[in-house]
Amino acid sequence: MSTDTIISVEGVSKKFCRSLKYTMLHGVRDIARDVFGLSQYTNGLRHDEFWALNDVFFEVRRGECVGLIGPNGAGKSTLLKLLNGITLPDKGKIKVAGRIGALLELGAGFHPMLTGRENIYLSGAILGLGKDEIAEKFDAIVDFAGLEEFIDSPVKHYSSGMYVRLGFAIAAHAEPDVFLIDEALAVGDILFQSKCYAKLREFRDRGTTIIFVTHSLDLVSSHCSGALLIDKGTKMALGTPKDVIDEYNRLMSQRRASTNPPPENRAVEVNALLSSKKAEWTDLFTANPNEDRYGSRKAEILEAGIFTLGHDPVQVLERNREFLIKIKVRHNVAMPAAISAYSIRDVKGTVLCGTNTLYENIDMGQVQIGTVVLVVFRQVARLNPGDYLLSIGCGAWEAGEYIIYDRRFDYLPFQIIGKAPRIGVFDPESVVEWERLD
Amino acid sequence: MVKKALWRYTYTLLASRSRSGYRPTESLGMEDAIHSHQRRSCRTTVLDRETVEVEYTPQGVRRNGAAGWRIMFSELAESRRLIWLLILRDLSVRYRQSVLGYVWAVVPQTLTVAAFAFLQASRVLPIGGTRIAYVAYALWGISVWQLFAGCLSSCTMSLVSSGSLVTKVNFPREALVIAALGQPGFDFFVRLVPVIAVFGWYGVAPSWGIVLMPLVLLPVMLLALGLGFVLSIANLVIRDTANALGMVLSAGMFLSPVLYPPPVRWPFFLVNLLNPLSPLLTASQDLIAEGFLTRPEMFAAACVLALALALGSWRAFRVTIPRVAGYA
Repeated sequence: MSTDTIISVEGVSKKFCRSLKYTMLHGVRDIARDVFGLSQYTNGLRHDEFWALNDVFFEVRRGECVGLIGPNGAGKSTLLKLLNGITLPDKGKIKVAGRIGALLELGAGFHPMLTGRENIYLSGAILGLGKDEIAEKFDAIVDFAGLEEFIDSPVKHYSSGMYVRLGFAIAAHAEPDVFLIDEALAVGDILFQSKCYAKLREFRDRGTTIIFVTHSLDLVSSHCSGALLIDKGTKMALGTPKDVIDEYNRLMSQRRASTNPPPENRAVEVNALLSSKKAEWTDLFTANPNEDRYGSRKAEILEAGIFTLGHDPVQVLERNREFLIKIKVRHNVAMPAAISAYSIRDVKGTVLCGTNTLYENIDMGQVQIGTVVLVVFRQVARLNPGDYLLSIGCGAWEAGEYIIYDRRFDYLPFQIIGKAPRIGVFDPESVVEWERLD
Repeated sequence: MVKKALWRYTYTLLASRSRSGYRPTESLGMEDAIHSHQRRSCRTTVLDRETVEVEYTPQGVRRNGAAGWRIMFSELAESRRLIWLLILRDLSVRYRQSVLGYVWAVVPQTLTVAAFAFLQASRVLPIGGTRIAYVAYALWGISVWQLFAGCLSSCTMSLVSSGSLVTKVNFPREALVIAALGQPGFDFFVRLVPVIAVFGWYGVAPSWGIVLMPLVLLPVMLLALGLGFVLSIANLVIRDTANALGMVLSAGMFLSPVLYPPPVRWPFFLVNLLNPLSPLLTASQDLIAEGFLTRPEMFAAACVLALALALGSWRAFRVTIPRVAGYA
């Protein structure tokens, strides 16, 4: 372990038991072995047990900020508990060179009947702060939590946001060398979240090592110096945020494709004889299961997706990079080729941008029954980091009326990531020049 | 109001104590960096004045011999303040949203004693002669019994009722179990009010030996703590423990010399011989009635047992807690 390494995890495994009954049985055996000094039975799995973490290796250097990502149940919280020494690994070794502070659950240890003031003193004592230390930091804690008014009310009357604020404020003011945070910050409002991230940046600048669990990939790419992806208890990737996020998205799209086969397309079934061309991209993307689809299906959208210029499927785009939106439209009658369109909305449903083949003055001529047309839109991702949804559609003007053949709102979720902050949803790529006028 | 004042008082008390008796901030360096919860449960190496390295392994918590004990006691000393705050928390919270408050600590046992006094007076239950007036005898006995039973059940529940504090925060958890003694201990003092009233009413003048009473009550609490360390862990893993304990305690009250004098005939006196609480109860009654111990050897044996049990199960508690913390 080099002097720069603050956390080293060497081949750590942890097992849990699925059934409560066997949990009790194994628990009793473990206790007996501990008390009588027998070595623990740690190598194999007993009845109903599984590896919550399996042979995980990694090191974290001093001052790093590591985002811990992975699907639900991947073992993220278990890993944090092991790092904090709350539970012991069943195999392997964890070394930590520094004082650990953890925020595994906000307000753990708060007593609902006590006032905020009393809880600060109590939580502080639980976290190992001395009386003087707490007294010294008391005002800063209250100020950070923004609870001056309510500090003498019992915390059971606090809103969940106030609870969170107080919990974070206390943990943050314990000033640990390593700070572990488990998905805790998502509860506070925007103002408080930004305050927390500012605090975390301050920690990082001071050389505090931070490991935090999050599902917000944008947060990882904007705040972290590294990221760790675990899935089913196994380390999948460790490296720069971008690489790990890519890996995560690949993993999630595979997962979705294998566990949720897309619902059978009725139109495809009916017209199976008409077309030999089938969907090919379903495994490549994590589509939105709750898309909003309607239309006459005179022509229909076979599938659509987002690709890089190199034609690799992606659901995480870097800001200001060019990317492709591909749409395959199959025509179920002989007619002029349908107008294909896309639009991008944010998660609140605001339409941000979009275009279609009519606006772009594209005429694809007549098509036969079963003809599939592939339309590719190429553009720059000018949107600022965040979550977005791609909607697609096809239709045509028939006798002065726009007929929707197939419209799939919020078909595909995707993310835009980028490091430098911007204001709003749109990045106009401002070029800044300046001169001194004196 | 009173409770608020109690808190304030404690803060100032603690503040002044730490100001006078503690190391100045500048020299904190190393000792402060070895943070209490990291010194625990793992191998700790001091790298330099500021960093401390901890290592968690599957066998991480076992520390044999004197070193283990030394660390346990030094950590206990470090968590003094935490224990005190936890006790205050329990005391100040318990009756915050209640009108009758501490009356509730007194009512149940008074009713039990009233019922038994009725049974005794009406000769439904042939209760043998007691050295002091029966009501005084029974009320005192039940107070000591409640001290034991209260300590034991509150220790047993201490980990489970703390929930996420046990599963999500790393700190010396024995503080929770030890602090669980505070509430029943305080209740005992509250219960002394009716006891004193009854003693006065019946004109029972306790002997001077009563000043030694703390030396009898301490082993009672130690015994409860020792059992409590074991049962709190057991309750984490198997929740039946608390239910079973409630049953055993209610049976135990009738098997201890609480509401009637200890049986003397074979084989019934065996119950007292095997019950570690009996000698302690008898000793407390001796101090009131006689001023000396009628069975000092039994009392000494019970004290040794209580101490050994408390130390042994404390150690076992520390060894097992990281293994079972997840069960809370």
